[in-house]
Amino acid sequence: MRTEDLIDALADKVEPVEPLRHPAARAMGWMIVSFVYLAGLVWLIGPRADIADKLAEPRFVIEIAAALLTSLMAAIAAFCAGCPGRPLWERFAPFPFLAVWLATLGEGCWRQWVQSGPDGLTFNIDLDCFQAIFLASILSALVILVMIRQGAPLAPMSTTGLATLAATAIGAAGLRLFHALDVSVMILVWQFGSVLLLATIGFLAGNRYLKWSLPKIDGGDSGHRQTG
Amino acid sequence: MTSSGSSDDRAERDERWRLLMRLAQAGDTAAYSRFLSEILPVLRGTVHRRWRSPQDVEDIVQDILMSVHSVRHTFDPSRPIMPWLMTITARRIADAARRSSSRVANETTVETMPETFSGADTKSTQDTSDDQEAIQIALASLSDGQREAIQLMKLQGLSVQEAAERTGKSVPALKVTVHRAIKAMRASLQRKT
Repeated sequence: MRTEDLIDALADKVEPVEPLRHPAARAMGWMIVSFVYLAGLVWLIGPRADIADKLAEPRFVIEIAAALLTSLMAAIAAFCAGCPGRPLWERFAPFPFLAVWLATLGEGCWRQWVQSGPDGLTFNIDLDCFQAIFLASILSALVILVMIRQGAPLAPMSTTGLATLAATAIGAAGLRLFHALDVSVMILVWQFGSVLLLATIGFLAGNRYLKWSLPKIDGGDSGHRQTG
Repeated sequence: MTSSGSSDDRAERDERWRLLMRLAQAGDTAAYSRFLSEILPVLRGTVHRRWRSPQDVEDIVQDILMSVHSVRHTFDPSRPIMPWLMTITARRIADAARRSSSRVANETTVETMPETFSGADTKSTQDTSDDQEAIQIALASLSDGQREAIQLMKLQGLSVQEAAERTGKSVPALKVTVHRAIKAMRASLQRKT
């Protein structure tokens, strides 16, 4: 087909489209849905017994805030990655908050080492933690994975990796409200480790999940075809 | 003076494209057609500069145009259009390069393409003669309508529309006739072997 004929065919089939809202607005919408889900989950399972005391601890509040900011910035970054022409640095926006989150957990490990020596870093297998993060993140993950498909698949791996990071980080923050586990090394390995593992799986699945959906022009068919 | 004039022209052009794209998002066919026609030389120039094989340029340009069409809702009318357009262009050129390199990795380069099978696999004159005779017998076993359809579409190479016009049959009826004829010929050839 001649390119000029292709232009005619594309112009013929153009339909009104709603421009995507700003990435920050979309991220806020997603966060509200995730908060409602987590609130429902905390209400269903019941908050941890010492929740009032924990919320009075600055370290606990900083840890939760860092996880929530990581989630928010990762969601904004994932939506920005699907908008052509936006600056590349936006994709790295969640990492300072991720570093603060990691630092609060590292500081907790160091404090327990100083207080109790090597015994303070006792490490057990806790697969419940992984399952709880999965449960706390699943709806947020499904919603954001649907939302990122509205964008352009310019950087599929970064987009799905950031989206999964956003979902698992908010799940980890919610988990701290109903899962009474305060041993820093356990949180570091099982909660933070689960977040990184799931985000890595999301990153690796990017090329399979996000593909270009191009209009099918020949024969006047209005369907779409997918290309890598 | 010239540089300033050129930069003013470019700014004016970008602003025009931004407005055309905004109209295209609202479903304005004329604005969209004009936008795509105006960006075409820019896309061709960009792909030409970045792609080694000139014969692939038009395919990549078409791919970019279809990509622009499929993600036109991602353009934010409050932002400049060129970064949006050039990001899609760069991405699709990179995708084409990736596809090309994976295709090359699966290809084998040979100096001379073999014209036939090796000696043991090559058919003898007798085999060829036998095959032709079997096909003639299978053709003869068809009804007149089926034989005519096979001769027009499979031996003379007419399209289904051309054959329909020649025979006066409808396209679906002709497709059914050809399908049944091939089935009958296959059965006839299997009986012979």
